[in-house]
This record gives sequence, C-alpha cells and structure tokens, in this order.
Amino acid sequence: MPSIETKYFGTLPCAEGSVFDFPQGLPAFEDEKTFVLIESPEGAPLVFLQSMARASLCFLALPILVVDKNYQLAIAPEDLEALSLDIERQPELGPEVTVLALVSLHDELVATANLMAPVVLNVKIRRGLQAIRRDFLYSPEYPVNAHPAQKNAAEEVC
Amino acid sequence: MLVLRRRAGESFLIGDEIEVELLAVTQQGAKIGIRAPKETIVLRKELKITQEQNAHAASSPSLRDLEQTIRKLRP
Repeated sequence: MPSIETKYFGTLPCAEGSVFDFPQGLPAFEDEKTFVLIESPEGAPLVFLQSMARASLCFLALPILVVDKNYQLAIAPEDLEALSLDIERQPELGPEVTVLALVSLHDELVATANLMAPVVLNVKIRRGLQAIRRDFLYSPEYPVNAHPAQKNAAEEVC
Repeated sequence: MLVLRRRAGESFLIGDEIEVELLAVTQQGAKIGIRAPKETIVLRKELKITQEQNAHAASSPSLRDLEQTIRKLRP
C-alpha cells in the first residue's frame, strides 16, 4: 500500500479509497490536485483533508451535518457536472457524496466552519471540489464550538 | 451603495477604464459584461471570500492546539 507524509499523523499508509482527485484544486490552492481524507478516532469529530503533494498542508473539516443537522445542499449545476453527478437534482448525502465544511481556528481556539463553500466528494469516482454557494444563505464563518458556559446557557433558554 | 437602474444593452462606467454592460436579464439572473484593463482582477465575491477562508483554514494549528480544539468540539 502506498504511504503518505501527513502534517499530524506522521507517515500513514493510504488506502486507495481515501484518495480524491481535485481537478480544479481548491480556491487559493489551485495547484493542489490530490487530497487524502483521513478519519481517525483520536481526531473525531474532525476529519482531515491532507494534501498528497504537500505534507504541511492539511485542512481540518467537519461533516456538514455535524455542523448543521438541517443543512440543505445547493450545488450549482456546473459543479454537479464537474463531479459527474446528475445535474437535475441535488445528490444524496451519504451514498452518493460526502460533504465537508472546512474549519478555521481563530484566537482563543474559536472554530468556525465554512458552510458557504462545502467540499463535496463523489465517493464513487473519488473526485472532489469546493462547491461555492451562490445564495449567501449560509455563513463562511459559522461558529462551531461556543464556549461551554454559553452553550449551557443557550440550552437552558431553549 | 450607489444604485443604478439599467436595461439590457445599457452600460455604465467605473472610472475611465472600466465599463460594465448589462447584456441580458432572465429569470435565472442577469448576464453582465465587463470591459476592463487586463491587469484588473474581476472575481465573483463568493470566490474571493472562499479564497480568504481557505488561506486562513490552511494555517491550521499546531498539534497541541489541535488536541485542545478536538476536546472542545466533542460533545
């Protein structure tokens, strides 16, 4: 099995099924054409999008439904086409596509997830792209880990 | 924000060198043509935001910060 240098996990064997082609790269990283999806029990619920070519480049991500359990996909027809998916409908989360929100860390370790531009992976053909929404219905900086105290307070109000 | 009303085929100027023409309006949206010097960068706003978010996300944390982050994210 081929192995890969990673930012967080040293050298890992990489299973063929976890390697995804990104023909367009990612915005601001257009030259990075291959990423490996790393899911590890120690990292859960985070998953990792590790660049194959550059060990120092690894995005943190969360499954989109972990961030927002009611998230509605709105992938543009040209993005569906680029992923070889049916352009007449939105794909089914799970069997057809894995959808991830990239995570950014800010001061005080506040994490936000980009719900405006989810990474969509066609699991069957192992191709991915970042599908930028046009509708501005979801934030590119959606907070994912409210301070525990605030979280409890919010739960009490609800 | 300056708001202009334009019909298909009409245009407006930004400075001396940039012309924006409304080519067509359909139910799906407006088709816009832009004439500008080669060095002017024209980007869809959401793409610019995504580039900035990705650049920030790529400066992902050290292993120690990562462990703390994961601890915080766990329910």
